[in-house]
Amino acid sequence: MIEYHQAEQGEFSDTSEFGVKVIGIGGAGANVLDRMALEGSDDAELLTLNTDVRALSTSVSSQKIQLGATLLKGMGTGGDPTLGKQAAIEAVDEIRKAVRSSKMVFVCVGLGGGTGSGAAPEVCRIAREEGVFLVVFATMPFSFEGERRMGQARTALEQISRYANAVITFDNDRMGELIVPKDGVAQAFAAADKIISQSIRATMNVVFRPGIIRIGMDDLLSALDADDSRCLFGYGVAKGDNRSHEALEQALKCPLLDRGKLLNEARSVLVQVAGGDTMTLFEVQLVMEEVAKHVGKQTQILFGTGTDKRLGNSLTVTIISSIAGPAASSMRAAQAEEESAAPAISLGMAPASQPELTQPIRPVAIAAAPVAPVPAPIPPVEEYEPEPEMVVEEAPVFEPEPVDDASVFEPLEEFEEVVAEEEVAVPSYAPDPVPPLHRAPVFQADPDEVPELVNPIARAMAVPAEPAPLSPPPFPPQSHTNEVARVEALTESSQKITLTRVVGSGNTGRIKTRDPLAPALDGPVLPPAKPPVIPSHDAAAAELSEEARQQQELLQLDPVAGRGRFAKTDPTIVDGEDLDVPTFLRKKR
Amino acid sequence: MAASNIYVGLEIGTSKVCMVVGEVRGDGAIKILGVGQHPSAGVRKGEIVDPETVQTCLHDALMRAEERSNVEVNTVFLAVTGSHVQSLNNRGTIRVADEQMEITPEDLEEVKKIARDVPLPKENGYIHSIIQHYYVDGQDKIPNPVGMLGQKLEADYHIIHGVKTRIQNAIKCVREVPLEVEDIVFSPVAAAQVVLNREAKNEGALLIDIGGGTTDYICFIDGAVVASGCVPIGGDHITNDIALVLKIPLARAEKLKVNHGSASLRGMIDVDITVEGESGKKVSQELLNQIMNARVTELLSVVHEPLAKAGYLSRLGKGIFLTGGSSLMKGIADLTEEIFGIPVQKSGSAAMSGPSTLFENPQYATPVGLIRYAQLLDEQKPKRGAFSKLGEKLEKIFGGGK
Repeated sequence: MIEYHQAEQGEFSDTSEFGVKVIGIGGAGANVLDRMALEGSDDAELLTLNTDVRALSTSVSSQKIQLGATLLKGMGTGGDPTLGKQAAIEAVDEIRKAVRSSKMVFVCVGLGGGTGSGAAPEVCRIAREEGVFLVVFATMPFSFEGERRMGQARTALEQISRYANAVITFDNDRMGELIVPKDGVAQAFAAADKIISQSIRATMNVVFRPGIIRIGMDDLLSALDADDSRCLFGYGVAKGDNRSHEALEQALKCPLLDRGKLLNEARSVLVQVAGGDTMTLFEVQLVMEEVAKHVGKQTQILFGTGTDKRLGNSLTVTIISSIAGPAASSMRAAQAEEESAAPAISLGMAPASQPELTQPIRPVAIAAAPVAPVPAPIPPVEEYEPEPEMVVEEAPVFEPEPVDDASVFEPLEEFEEVVAEEEVAVPSYAPDPVPPLHRAPVFQADPDEVPELVNPIARAMAVPAEPAPLSPPPFPPQSHTNEVARVEALTESSQKITLTRVVGSGNTGRIKTRDPLAPALDGPVLPPAKPPVIPSHDAAAAELSEEARQQQELLQLDPVAGRGRFAKTDPTIVDGEDLDVPTFLRKKR
Repeated sequence: MAASNIYVGLEIGTSKVCMVVGEVRGDGAIKILGVGQHPSAGVRKGEIVDPETVQTCLHDALMRAEERSNVEVNTVFLAVTGSHVQSLNNRGTIRVADEQMEITPEDLEEVKKIARDVPLPKENGYIHSIIQHYYVDGQDKIPNPVGMLGQKLEADYHIIHGVKTRIQNAIKCVREVPLEVEDIVFSPVAAAQVVLNREAKNEGALLIDIGGGTTDYICFIDGAVVASGCVPIGGDHITNDIALVLKIPLARAEKLKVNHGSASLRGMIDVDITVEGESGKKVSQELLNQIMNARVTELLSVVHEPLAKAGYLSRLGKGIFLTGGSSLMKGIADLTEEIFGIPVQKSGSAAMSGPSTLFENPQYATPVGLIRYAQLLDEQKPKRGAFSKLGEKLEKIFGGGK
């Protein structure tokens, strides 16, 4: 055994050093935070944001910010997101200050109400402007809360997903069904909160736990690959002789995993096995062999292991993955046809601020560009109102990306100037089908001209400065296209470059195979990135992405194989087990 | 009411559609006139998934029943079940007006209304609300408080409810045949009418009806229903398990289950059984029994858990009655006894006149029970005055049996 000092790997075992903050917004967010505090979270700073001062005062988190102190005078928003947004804007300085010290921020929020839906997009925007790596855990309201709240939630989710590096949605309807169909309301909510807080904790642990075989942020992104729509998550911890088996069993039992059956469909699965000093190689091997039984042959297993003294005698298994909705996979297929660009595009979470992403020049896109000149902003109108900024008149020339903050918008002339400088003739910018998880605002990039407006930094667009070489790019810089995009990325990248290194350095100790579909994650990654931009191929693709997006909002568990003649019936779920699957097979596992 | 009445019970089960035509004579005796049945299709877990197919089966069963009984069937009592059916107990309390000393039937109405007024999910509707006991000024278990003196009247009700639309779908399917549905009855409520006698209900008994698609149960203590429910797992699941684990077709799995399988692992001799068919595949008896044992154990545990939690099991003086087609399985009584720790007997319905083999077969407990149910329902009608409402018919059946 070769001995080495772990710190030489340049990892960050101490999360406070790395600056992790968990922000709970609104009532639901505060509940999750309280749950985390209850379970003893010394790993991260907890920050509660709320408009209702009474709710805020009962929160147990270490930091609290009251939103809209003067606007609402300590009352709630009464379910009005506009008030929530204004309240957040009022506290913008405080929020900015609180977020600034962190490198990584988890936001948990229950969408649908006033504070959550209104303030969360603002907070996310601020966080991104401060250059943090942002993961959002959003809870969608119960359907019985009504269409209106659902609409508010969807609008908010759409806004949030523009800013966040990763969005994981939990559907309350689904959670209720999965966890405790017959138990009391309090237990049901507690269980839902617990699942969310566990996911946050596990995500944190996975990334920060000292690793022998380390898992980095890039692995996490790869596992949550955004054009796959549904997030799977399982966590198990066990002690005793048979702990490796039991921990895995527990992890697979998590309702989001549906006993591990859904793993079969996943393209990449992140598995971390961690334990105290007593953990043996044999145990790790045992777990991994078991996991291998559950995943398909094509699945990439991102494996990590590490020891943590705090775990004592227990062993934990964390499984994070996501699976494609049918629409997402067909979309991927469509993309695969466009050879040059496909790999980059398929990565919903890949850093979009890497200018290279927009670069590939694709004949298909050229053909498509003029055809799809804008008039159809993809989101169907019934679903959510197009942002006011999506001005249709501008359509034929530019479709400015929808941005909340009006100040971000530069006058149109400037866009035109940029384009003119690049001597680009083709004028059409169209909003785009985007990978489901991140409906990032997107521009139809015509091969020649390009500027992809990515969000908070849109203002950088106006600066036609010469691009400074930023991060070591995976692709060599080529055309002016590239350069323009870089200009956009400039501000952001410079803020985030530290983080990039951090993550990059974590890669050294990693052992894994790379999925050919995920090359953009290779090499140093800029984690605080934007959702990538995909040029729209055609209307059909737009539809597909729309479908995928809608599906994304549900954490669905599809009926899976193994149920025989009951494959098409409602699953009979008792204690998280699908009773239609032969008992014999379930017990054997 | 001296004239005899003819009732028809219809059960659209997962494995068979069964229609029983019965005559209730003036003296209360029941004679079964004819039975029509047909293997069913388009039913999963006790609920209709393919109405057209079901109607074909139903029509066939109807033809046979009419032919054999020589009766033209117009209205039926329909047994319903399904995972959506749930039950709960609720107590209602009223204060009797001061000037009025005696408890009147109107008071019973009132208290019943209050007891029934439980918040159900908005898509659910009542199937049954069954009186358990009345309490007058704290004195408990009074079967009929009308005429008693008292100020506080309480009533415990057992309420069975289910998703309205899912029940309506079953009714719609039958109506399109066309047959009129006189009433719907939760399957185990019907089966209990013939499987459990009054003594068993009073001393405490649990009826478990393991059918093709569902397992329904109903628990009586002190003559009143205290729990009932439906687990959407039945014989089909066992067959499905065997087919999936052994990788053989469902039809062969079914044969294997019926001819060779046992739910118990005790006293088993491990031999190889040859699966029918050209492949001549051999299957170990041990494996087969293990598959069935695992499933049935789990199924019974799901039934066991809520009953044990509520503390009912220790009060079942008469033990457990197994019925339904899957109760014909070997070893199931042993296994049930092992899990519940209470004596178990397999049982069909009690004696009536008619083709006798029918009653002994536990497969027919529910449809025959429907006839009995209809009879009891009818017996109450003349007694009740203008105040009676249709929904109350069950009071006597369950509450009065003391």
